[in-house]
Amino acid sequence: MTVPLPVPSDAPTSGGTPARAANRAGPPVGEFVFAGICAALGVYTIVGAGFIRVPPGSASVLGPRVFPYAVGVLLLVASLVVIAQVLRGHRGTPDDGEDIDPDAPTDWLTVAKLVVCFSTQLVLIELAGWPVAVMVLFAGAAWSLGAKRWWVALAAGLGLGLVTQLVFGAWLGLSLPAGPLLDWIPIFHG
Amino acid sequence: MDSLTALLDGFATALQPQYLLYALFGVFIGTAVGVLPGIGPAMTVALLLPLTYSLDPTGALIVFAGIYYGGMYGGSTTSILLNTPGESSSIVTALEGNRMAKAGRGAAALATAALGSFVAGTAATLALTFLAPGISKLAVQLGPADYFALIVVAFLTVGALLGSSVPRGLVSLGLGLFLGLVGTEVLSGQQRYTLGVPSLADGIDVVVIAVGLFALGETLYVASRLRHGPVRVIPVTKGWRSWMSRRDLARSWRPWLRGTAIGFPIGTIPAGGADVATFLSYATERKLAKGNARAEFGRGAIEGVAGPEAANNAAAAGVLVPLLTLGLPTTATAAIIISAFQSYGIRPGPMLFENQSGLVWALIASLYIGNVMLLVLNLPLVGMWVKVLRIPRPYLYAGILAFAGLGAYALHFNVFDTFVLLLVGLIGFLMRRYGYPVAPMVVGGILGPMAEEQLRKSMAISQGDLTYLVRSPFAIVAYSALAVIIVLGVWLKRRKARFEASGAEPITASLPASEEERK
Repeated sequence: MTVPLPVPSDAPTSGGTPARAANRAGPPVGEFVFAGICAALGVYTIVGAGFIRVPPGSASVLGPRVFPYAVGVLLLVASLVVIAQVLRGHRGTPDDGEDIDPDAPTDWLTVAKLVVCFSTQLVLIELAGWPVAVMVLFAGAAWSLGAKRWWVALAAGLGLGLVTQLVFGAWLGLSLPAGPLLDWIPIFHG
Repeated sequence: MDSLTALLDGFATALQPQYLLYALFGVFIGTAVGVLPGIGPAMTVALLLPLTYSLDPTGALIVFAGIYYGGMYGGSTTSILLNTPGESSSIVTALEGNRMAKAGRGAAALATAALGSFVAGTAATLALTFLAPGISKLAVQLGPADYFALIVVAFLTVGALLGSSVPRGLVSLGLGLFLGLVGTEVLSGQQRYTLGVPSLADGIDVVVIAVGLFALGETLYVASRLRHGPVRVIPVTKGWRSWMSRRDLARSWRPWLRGTAIGFPIGTIPAGGADVATFLSYATERKLAKGNARAEFGRGAIEGVAGPEAANNAAAAGVLVPLLTLGLPTTATAAIIISAFQSYGIRPGPMLFENQSGLVWALIASLYIGNVMLLVLNLPLVGMWVKVLRIPRPYLYAGILAFAGLGAYALHFNVFDTFVLLLVGLIGFLMRRYGYPVAPMVVGGILGPMAEEQLRKSMAISQGDLTYLVRSPFAIVAYSALAVIIVLGVWLKRRKARFEASGAEPITASLPASEEERK
C-alpha cells in the first residue's frame, strides 16, 4: 500500500534507498540559516534592551535593561558557537521518534501544506465558527499527510469539531464560537 | 503539621466520588494518549491543558496527576509493541521489551513493565510524601539570592545536559528566555519587545510555548519524515495466564527495587530527568545479570524491561519533589505542570505546603490512587491500547493539530494566540530538524521571569553588591552542586554514547535470527 507521496523537494527520490548520507551531503544551509536567525534575535534583544527606558531615581538597583542584555548576549554567543561548530563539521542530530522514518529526507512540501492548513484557523474560527474551522484543519492535515479517502477525513473532522464544541463549549463552558451555521441551535450557545 | 495526618486528609478529599472519577478520567486519557506513538508525557499534558480552564483547581490537578502517571505507563506499551526498526535504540525499554514481544513474550514484558511501574511509582510516591514537607520547611528560609542560585542551576543543567550538544541547548534556553522577556516589565510598567502589539502586553503564555513546541512542532517534524505504510503492531497472546510466570516474577522484583532506587534520586535533581535514570538502570541490570539472563540481554531479557521501567516511573515521581517544594521544573513535563498551577494563580514553591496544604495533599493522595487504577486498567485493557496504536497516522496527527489549535484559542479566545502558536511551532520544527533540544526553551520561558524577579530582589537587598549572590551557605552549596552535576552529567552522556556505539552491534546481529524463527 503505497500512498502517493508528495515529492520531497530537497532530496533524491530515485526509488532505491535514500540513505541518510545522501541527505546529509552538500553544505548545511538550513543549519546556518537557523543558527543565523537565532544570532540575529540575540542582536535584536541587545539592541532592543538599549531602548528600554530606565526610570530616573528608581529604588531598584538593577534596572529593566540588565536581564535583557544578559539574555541577548547568551543567545548571540551560543548561536555563534553553534555556527562555528557546524563550520568545523559538527552537525546537529535530528530527533528520533516512533513514527519517524530514519532514512527519509525532510519533506518540506508536507510541512508547508500543514502550515497552510493550520493558518486557516486564523480566519475561519471567527468567521465560520469552531466546528467548521476544525473540519477544514483536520481534513486538510489528514489529506496532506496521505489519507486516502478525503470524505472520511472530512466527516471525521466535522465530527471532531462538533464533539469538541459540545464538550468544551457547551459542557465545560469555554466560549468557542459556534459560527453562523450553527448559532441558531440552542445547545451550541453554551 | 504531621504529614501523615495531612496525607489522610488528602485521601479523604481524593476519595470523594467526583475526584475519584477525575482521577480515573486522568489515568485513562493519560494512558490512551501516552500509548499513541510520538506523543510523550510532555505533549500529553500540553494537549490536555485546556481541560484546566474550566475545572476547579483540585479537580484539575488530580486529572493532571493521572495524566502524568498514565502517560508514563502508556509509553512503555508503545515501545514494547510497536515494531519500528531503526529507532528503538534511543528508548531503553524498547531494547529488550520489543525483542521479548517479537519472541512471543510480549504479555510478560507488558506485565513486568506495569507491575514495575506500580511498585516504583508507589515507593517513589511514599518517598515524596515524607521528603517533600521537610524540604519545603527548609525552603521557606531561602532568600532571593538562594532562589536565583537554584534557578541558575536548573537553567544550566537543563540547557547543558539535554540534547546532543551544549551550545544548542543554550540557544534553546536563550530562545525561551527571550519569549519570557516579551511583555510588560513589572517595576517600571513599560512594555518590552512587544512591537507595539497590544495582545503581547500580557506576555506570551507558557501554554502557547509548550503546546507550540510539543504538539505543533512535533507534528510538523514527524510529518516531514513520516513513516508511511501500514502500522505494524506485534501481536500479544490473550489471557491473564500468559502475563507472568513465577520465574518471571523471581527475575523481576530485584530490578524493580534497584530501578526505583536509581530513578527517584535522579528525578529529584535537575540532571536530565528520566532519560538518564532509565539508561543507568539498564546498564546496571546488564552488568548484574548472570548466567542465562546475561546471554539473553540483547535478545529480550526481562530484567532489561523491569529495571528501566521502574526507574522511569520513580524518576517521574522524583521530579515532583523540586516541583512542589521549590517551584522548580526540571523537565519539560514539569514545566508544563507548573503552568497549569499558574493558570489558577497558585505558585508552586515552599509556601505551597503552608498555603495550599489541602490541595497538595489531595494531589499526593491521588498519585497513590492513580497508581492503583493504572495497574488495574493497564493489563486487562491491552487489547484496547493495541487498537489505539493502530490509528492511521494521518488522522492521528490531524487530531493533534486540532487540539493544539483548541489549546491556544481557548486561552483568551483570540486568534492572535493561534498565530503565536504557529510561529512557536515552526521554531520547534526547525529546532528538532537541526538537533536542538526543545525542553530548555520551555524551562527558560517559565523560569526566565522568575529569575529576573529574584535577581532584582537580591540586588535591592544588597544595594547592588554582586557578591551577595554567592554569600549564603545555601547558594554556595547550590553552585558547587551545579559544577558536580554538570561534570557528572557530561560523563554519563559520554558513557551512554559509548554504550550505544558498542552495544548496538550484537543486538542488531541477533535480530534477524529471532525474526526468522517467527516466520
